[in-house]
Amino acid sequence: MDLPSLLMAGSLDTLTSYFSVAFLAIFLPVSVVVYAVIPQKARKYFLLIASFAFFWLISGQLIAYLCLIIMGVHYFGLWLDRIQTQKSAALKAVPKEEKKALKKVYLHRSRRVLLFAAVLMIGGLLVIKYSPFFTTNVNSLLLLLNIPIQFDIPSYIMPIGISFFTLQAVSYLFDVYRGLIKADDNILRLALFMSFFPQIVEGPICRYGQTANQLWNVKQIEFENLKLGAVRILFGLMKKLVIADRLNPMIKQIFSHYDDYQGGIIALGAIAYTIQLYCDFSGTMDAVMGVAQIFGVTMPENFQRPFFSKSISEFWKRWHITLGTWFKDYIFYPVTMSKPMKNLTSSARKKLGNHFGPLLAGSIALFCVWFCNGLWHGSAWGYIFFGMYHFVLILSGNIIAPAVTAFNKKLHINSECFAYKVFQIVRTCILVVIGEMFFRAERLTTGFSMFGKMVTDFSFSSLNYELMKKLKIDMHDVMIVLIALAFIFVISVLNEKGICVRGAIAKRNVVIRWAAVYALIMFIIIFGAYGKGYVAVDPIYANF
Amino acid sequence: MDELIEILEDIKPDVDYEGCENLIDGHYLDSLSIISLIAEIEDAFDVTVPAVEVVPANFNSVKAMWSMIERLQEEE
Repeated sequence: MDLPSLLMAGSLDTLTSYFSVAFLAIFLPVSVVVYAVIPQKARKYFLLIASFAFFWLISGQLIAYLCLIIMGVHYFGLWLDRIQTQKSAALKAVPKEEKKALKKVYLHRSRRVLLFAAVLMIGGLLVIKYSPFFTTNVNSLLLLLNIPIQFDIPSYIMPIGISFFTLQAVSYLFDVYRGLIKADDNILRLALFMSFFPQIVEGPICRYGQTANQLWNVKQIEFENLKLGAVRILFGLMKKLVIADRLNPMIKQIFSHYDDYQGGIIALGAIAYTIQLYCDFSGTMDAVMGVAQIFGVTMPENFQRPFFSKSISEFWKRWHITLGTWFKDYIFYPVTMSKPMKNLTSSARKKLGNHFGPLLAGSIALFCVWFCNGLWHGSAWGYIFFGMYHFVLILSGNIIAPAVTAFNKKLHINSECFAYKVFQIVRTCILVVIGEMFFRAERLTTGFSMFGKMVTDFSFSSLNYELMKKLKIDMHDVMIVLIALAFIFVISVLNEKGICVRGAIAKRNVVIRWAAVYALIMFIIIFGAYGKGYVAVDPIYANF
Repeated sequence: MDELIEILEDIKPDVDYEGCENLIDGHYLDSLSIISLIAEIEDAFDVTVPAVEVVPANFNSVKAMWSMIERLQEEE
């Protein structure tokens, strides 16, 4: 890779993976070294330049879109802030009895600005990401109705991370509107918050209050942060290279030729894909957190041991946490707390009681959340189904909750005992795996066919060495993946008990510390899936 | 404050509301209970609870809820 080609706009799409050689061996070390040697005052500006350079190297001229969004967010944020200031001044000048009416006037004014800004931001995302899907479906409908009109299907190149930074932009505007934060008059600080290079590709979706000031007040690199950050990147690299990428050939084979396999093999494929998705995404998040830690920045965690969840609802509080909280804060509560929904809750409670009364408004909001969640992942019916699948599961869980409690009471089942909790965890994992199978299936109809085979032809009788060869996996791969998963499981159990393994090892003597780091490095070098026979797998969530 | 405790007991009985300091964090009140609670608080105390106030800190104890209500009444 020569320097001129490295510096060409949009030439480095391999940078989308934080585990690529381009990122880990070139971009990150160069950034860290330059950051460390320049004067303190220049460091925040350097991070901003590095972030824009990173975006430009991946998406080229589409950086103009990011700039437009930043300028829009800055402008509308200040506009909303101006309305708040005018409101405060106006309220001081009127008698108490007129205050309520005046507040309403200003509320409507800021609502209009917020709505206009949100429509612009979300509208941009809708046009770029969803217009081909929308046009294709309109064309199919027209064809079905025998109307001889067909629209050209538009095609856009998506700027990297558009689904992530758009949500950050909207959350910033909402938080200013709600008075949670003051609008930032410093467009450069806002730009760094929106574009910080470790998070731009796959999140986490940060709130302005969480990271903007941290990023703007970065300090010199501390050895402790460098060390802990590097170990976290290594841990993520292990998840990605040893597990996710090693499983990839088998998953690809099963999902592309599912018709050739028994239901049991398809189930194994679905389990493998769920593991791959977790290791790919959470591994990338480990790298993101690690890189941020090197610069002394703490990002909100996106995963909290999701496979220990006892219900689907809990699973989504532990998986892609920042997306879930975004939907909760900016869709679920605003919908349930709108006037019509509040009225519905009040009247429904009187008729349906304390459990089912609020469930009515709650389920409408939940539907909105899961429709948006499904669609956010991609413009295909499979993703919408994925959202609706979780909506139905969570809603059903809420509906039957009183019956389950009564049933357990009647049969004297102790829902707090270990065995019951294991049952709940296994049940949740099975439901998650089925959902992820539809998520990965090439088409929605394919997902249904695979599920049908899992139900009607559930057998492992064809599983032998010959089949494993066809699936591009051998006993060696299976053993490596199982050992790595056992390693992650032990660390997860310790984390669940509140023990930070990285912190605990860091406190031990130098021999143990370095032995642990070298063991991890050797494990990745020896057992990682790279080199001859392996194709580097693109980070799955970067496509969303 | 008694009226607030009555509302809470009506929505979800069998909880020691006066002694509990982690109603949200301890999963005593879920999102459905919160939806009911907000609708009832708005009716009973003539306040509007904006979405921004729906944070665990405002609902973890009766005391926290009461101070939120008083603050909202003052703001109204």
